[in-house]
Amino acid sequence: MTSLLEVRDLHKRYGETEVLKGVSLALERGQSKVVMGPSGTGKSTLLRCINHLNPPDAGTVLLDGEELTARNLNAMRQQIGFVFQDFNLFTHLRALDNVRIGPMKILGTDRKEATELAMTELDRVGLADKADSYPAELSGGQQQRVSIARALAMQPKVILFDEPTSALDPELTGEVVSVMKQLASDGMTMLVVSHELGFARSAADEIVFMDGGHIIEQGPPDRLFTAPEHERTRSFLQVIAAHDHEGDGGTA
Amino acid sequence: MSEFVDFALEHLPYILEGLPITLGLWVIAMAIGFCFGLVLAWARIYGGRLAYGAATVYVEVFRGTPMLVQMLFIYLGLPEIGIVLDPFTAAVVAIGLNTSAYQAEYFRGAIRSIPRGQMAAARAMGMSDLEGLRYIVLPQALRRVIPQWSNEAILELKFTSIAFAIGVSEITARAETVGFTTFRFFEVFMIVAIIYFVLTGTVAQLLHWLEIRTRIPGLSQTG
Repeated sequence: MTSLLEVRDLHKRYGETEVLKGVSLALERGQSKVVMGPSGTGKSTLLRCINHLNPPDAGTVLLDGEELTARNLNAMRQQIGFVFQDFNLFTHLRALDNVRIGPMKILGTDRKEATELAMTELDRVGLADKADSYPAELSGGQQQRVSIARALAMQPKVILFDEPTSALDPELTGEVVSVMKQLASDGMTMLVVSHELGFARSAADEIVFMDGGHIIEQGPPDRLFTAPEHERTRSFLQVIAAHDHEGDGGTA
Repeated sequence: MSEFVDFALEHLPYILEGLPITLGLWVIAMAIGFCFGLVLAWARIYGGRLAYGAATVYVEVFRGTPMLVQMLFIYLGLPEIGIVLDPFTAAVVAIGLNTSAYQAEYFRGAIRSIPRGQMAAARAMGMSDLEGLRYIVLPQALRRVIPQWSNEAILELKFTSIAFAIGVSEITARAETVGFTTFRFFEVFMIVAIIYFVLTGTVAQLLHWLEIRTRIPGLSQTG
């Protein structure tokens, strides 16, 4: 039985700095994993290497057993949703068009069907009433939910979330986190880079802790949060938890 | 004054017969410039070293030499290597190639001004670079370029007058003919100036209207 997403020994360097020093990871169907770790550890680079937005220097990425190559890149990316930290909604398109442009232009879905699909996905993130709004008319939290709907409309096998709430004001993270929790419980396969404890504790199947370009340890949130094996994981999680209490922490 | 009006009314029909030629030169040249300008901008942003180099040389040469010289070269110089063009075609080609270089630079600037995340999001969905450019980047870049493009369009509309130098019977050439038959150059060129002024004013208004029509709601764009 092959994993849905398998990452083998990814390496990436920017100039002198080696950001990923051999990262391997597997995601089973329906599983959601949260990648945590100090900033500058290569978490976002890992995500961007998986769909080759930043092509890795070495290592392989397999989706359903098929390797991503320069040749099949666009076809593979259609099956890998990506949610950006700063949303990157297409500014000239209404929410509805942001969501249906992928199915229409890439998958060749006809307009009527794509519109229905897009409305379904907008409804799923609670924004059906904002279909005619342009991104600049939406709050950050709404924009991020539209961008999740945009990813969903491509009916991807897995969605990668690159710090989806860190560009948001604390009071707006909750609405995005609850959409993500809903997705996880609907069985979407998700790989999430985030320090959002609310999601990590209650919706993640596993937490992956990264530091210095390596995966230090990974395991179910219960174990990792209460009894991490490594001192570095422990001290990092303490800082995060303290920070979470200081803030409103009400996103859980 | 009424004498001027009488004179204008008498000769206006003859001069205005050149209007389709003037507008034809302008529209075709601007269309050439639009298409070729986009290709050049693409080459300078996304092209390999060769495409970038060739496009850069092209842009610099055409921006660095007078349009009149380019036109005379095309009309009088090219026949020596066997390429013979009629005056209208030669003028269209000259103006079109020239404006391509300028439009390329405006397009390039506008494309570059679109945040990188837009293309990244298009790629992440599975769009090819060409699809990303066509569906995502260009629709935004073209909106931003309207004010500059409008200046270029007005400039080229006025530049169509140099086609008279190679015998294209556009409005300036016709005005000159009237001048030499009536010896009333003051009135004649006053008339032709007014025609150009009305044309450029109309074009400016139309493009300004287009700019407002296509403005993205919620996004503050200064024109």
